[in-house]
Amino acid sequence: MTNSCSSVSTVLEKYFDQEVTDEEKLLVEGHLEDCPACQDVLKSMEELRTLMKVPVAEAVQKEDFPWVWQKIEREIRLQEKQPWWQSLRSWLDVTPLFRRKVWIPAVATAVVLLLFSTQIIFEKTPSYPDGSVVEYVQSQTDNVMVYQLEDPKVTVIWLFESPEEERTTT
Amino acid sequence: MNREETEMVSRCQQGDQEALKEIFEKYHKKVYSIAYGVVRQREEALDVVQEVFIKLFRSIKNFRGRSQFYTYLYRMVMNTAIDHKRKAGKQFMPSLDEEGSIQPSDDAEKGPERVLLQKELEERVKLAMDKLPAEQKAALIFRDVEGLSYQEMAEAMGCSIGTVMSRLHYGRKRMQESLKDYVKLPGQSRGVSTVSGR
Repeated sequence: MTNSCSSVSTVLEKYFDQEVTDEEKLLVEGHLEDCPACQDVLKSMEELRTLMKVPVAEAVQKEDFPWVWQKIEREIRLQEKQPWWQSLRSWLDVTPLFRRKVWIPAVATAVVLLLFSTQIIFEKTPSYPDGSVVEYVQSQTDNVMVYQLEDPKVTVIWLFESPEEERTTT
Repeated sequence: MNREETEMVSRCQQGDQEALKEIFEKYHKKVYSIAYGVVRQREEALDVVQEVFIKLFRSIKNFRGRSQFYTYLYRMVMNTAIDHKRKAGKQFMPSLDEEGSIQPSDDAEKGPERVLLQKELEERVKLAMDKLPAEQKAALIFRDVEGLSYQEMAEAMGCSIGTVMSRLHYGRKRMQESLKDYVKLPGQSRGVSTVSGR
């Protein structure tokens, strides 16, 4: 290195990194023409840069990235805490059992069955299996029970003299 | 930040995964490149890429737009990669000072030997970088591998331009010392061949 090297040493690295002003650039380039030592400094930095950069550039070129995104996406989905109704909704969306094609006929069938069963439940059922109809009339004084047999046609009227007596007899 | 990127970041801040995918499409190579520059190992670098984008999705709300988005992202990559490296560093790693490794050959132009030399050289560079303090390593990767300007580096590293220059200077000096068999030091003649011309 010559004495004049000290005048550019502070900006030589900036020059290498292309961060100098036009004025500094002229100064450094003027000096470099006659200074092999400073040329060596630059060359050394360039070699070092190549050593660091080339393997990285090669590694990037070799890599195939689409699957990386898939993994990221899956990981984010797993980590997300959904509210319970959203979890249920997404579960319904993915469960084949609850797809529209399945659940609409299923709900329709359930409604029809329910209608039938309510009719059966609320239907007046006779007290006797042979079709007799029983009526019961309650009053303050006496209680009356009437029942009819279909076959043979017989009507029976049963009179209870007072509720108290009924309670004791039953 | 241009309008398109501002919009993309803003959508991502609202939890839009599609926007994150756009960010991934735009930056994944750079992210991998920085990560690989630090860890110098494929699987580990890919792990860093994944971790960074997951982290980004969770923490992008904290980005206020005071700096360029990519410097915010690069900073996150650098921190994550250095963290990974630190964890992996607990495992055994041979030191640069250890003797007995393969010697560089003068006959490096021959095929298999050249490949071997390159492998050896890559390993040497990796070990030399591992020996650097994290800040100097980050400076070298941002500048010499990624080509960031001093201003961008200062943003990404959260320091002044003067500090950036200082970290670069000392980082390069240390690397040249560690790789003196491969990099010609100023004022010295090199005793062994180099493959820098590939």
